[in-house]
Amino acid sequence: MADSVDFEGLVARHYAGLYQFAFSLTRNESEACDLTQQTFCIWAAKGHQLRDVSKVKTWLFTTLHREFLASRRRQTRFPQVELDAAATELPAVSPADVNRLDTAQVLAALAQLDEIYQAPVALFYLQDCSYNEMVEILGVPLGTVKSRLARGLSKLHQLLADPQRRLPPP
Amino acid sequence: MTRDEAKNLLLLYRSEADLADPQIAEAVTLAQASPDLRRWFEEHCARQKALREKIRQIPVPAGLKEQIIYEQAAQAKARAQREKITLVAAVAAIIVALAVLGVSGLPHRRPALANTLAHFQSAMISYATSSYGMDLATNDLQKIQNYLARHDAPADYHLPAPLEQMPATGCAIKDWFGAKVSMICFRTGKPLPPNTPGDLWLFVVERTAVKDAPDSGPPRISRINNVSVATWIQNGKLYLLGTPGDETAIRKFL
Repeated sequence: MADSVDFEGLVARHYAGLYQFAFSLTRNESEACDLTQQTFCIWAAKGHQLRDVSKVKTWLFTTLHREFLASRRRQTRFPQVELDAAATELPAVSPADVNRLDTAQVLAALAQLDEIYQAPVALFYLQDCSYNEMVEILGVPLGTVKSRLARGLSKLHQLLADPQRRLPPP
Repeated sequence: MTRDEAKNLLLLYRSEADLADPQIAEAVTLAQASPDLRRWFEEHCARQKALREKIRQIPVPAGLKEQIIYEQAAQAKARAQREKITLVAAVAAIIVALAVLGVSGLPHRRPALANTLAHFQSAMISYATSSYGMDLATNDLQKIQNYLARHDAPADYHLPAPLEQMPATGCAIKDWFGAKVSMICFRTGKPLPPNTPGDLWLFVVERTAVKDAPDSGPPRISRINNVSVATWIQNGKLYLLGTPGDETAIRKFL
């Protein structure tokens, strides 16, 4: 049972990853801090209901993602997209081009992705979550995770390859 | 699997751990067998590595971890306090109900709390010597004053010079017949029992909020249980300072 999880140890292990995930979604420091704190607050109240301690990390990321979606629910309707072939559209953004960018520019490009792509792409790069963990965190089937990722990565690379489409960081 | 299908799957490849997915494993095998696809895949992996490094450089604000732990501890304390209050209220309700049932036939009843200086002194000292919770825990007198002002409690008070030298521990806002009372807590430096936030308390309320408060005059010393209390009026405010001990204990803070 999750009762046995030491709260301070749990915070120390996961707060940075959760914050980075939150920041990649919001690109706003105080909003990311609030989401991270809220996630641990919910853990303190409900974490004892989690039976499998090995799923604590997934539980935390799932909760943060839900809180983020709840905060955005009134603002955005997810656009419907065709999830067709993605890699064939990849532009020639070289690793050297990527290395010339800074984190803020990469995040600015990430923020331009449709919201349904942002979370899978952020989890993909930040957390090394397995695809099954992403399924749990995002609450969508495996096939959807994969197609959203392929589409999101493709779009991100397009944005990074085209400086004119890449907005400066706020 | 076609070349384009393989590329779509290779997009999802990050490390050998992803080979657990049979579709990705098949695509990687295909890439290894095709020089053209392998070159594309190697460049893709290098790009992914560079992107991963960039995104993982998101700086985490200093102190966030400590803030999360502190906030949680504060909330847990507040929850415990609420539970305790609920329990006390339930016990009190039972006692009141029993008392009403038991004495309703008697000709005299216990008087309600009246708005008098004596009752004010007694109520405030009783609160201070119980296990109270502070609304704001800080050693910073300026922050205390700002907090009280923000919450429309008396904040333009003047501390006696000796009291100003004492370490503050926080503040709370009490109610007295609809008027807000500022409670500022200090420590005298004497050893305290665990979870006791202070042993020197200053209460400030508008003089007019206490019906029989004097108009002016020097501090009057009295004693409530084992607490020495000084009461005085200054600039239209009633001050009440209390600390455990005899008269000399309270006089040195005036």
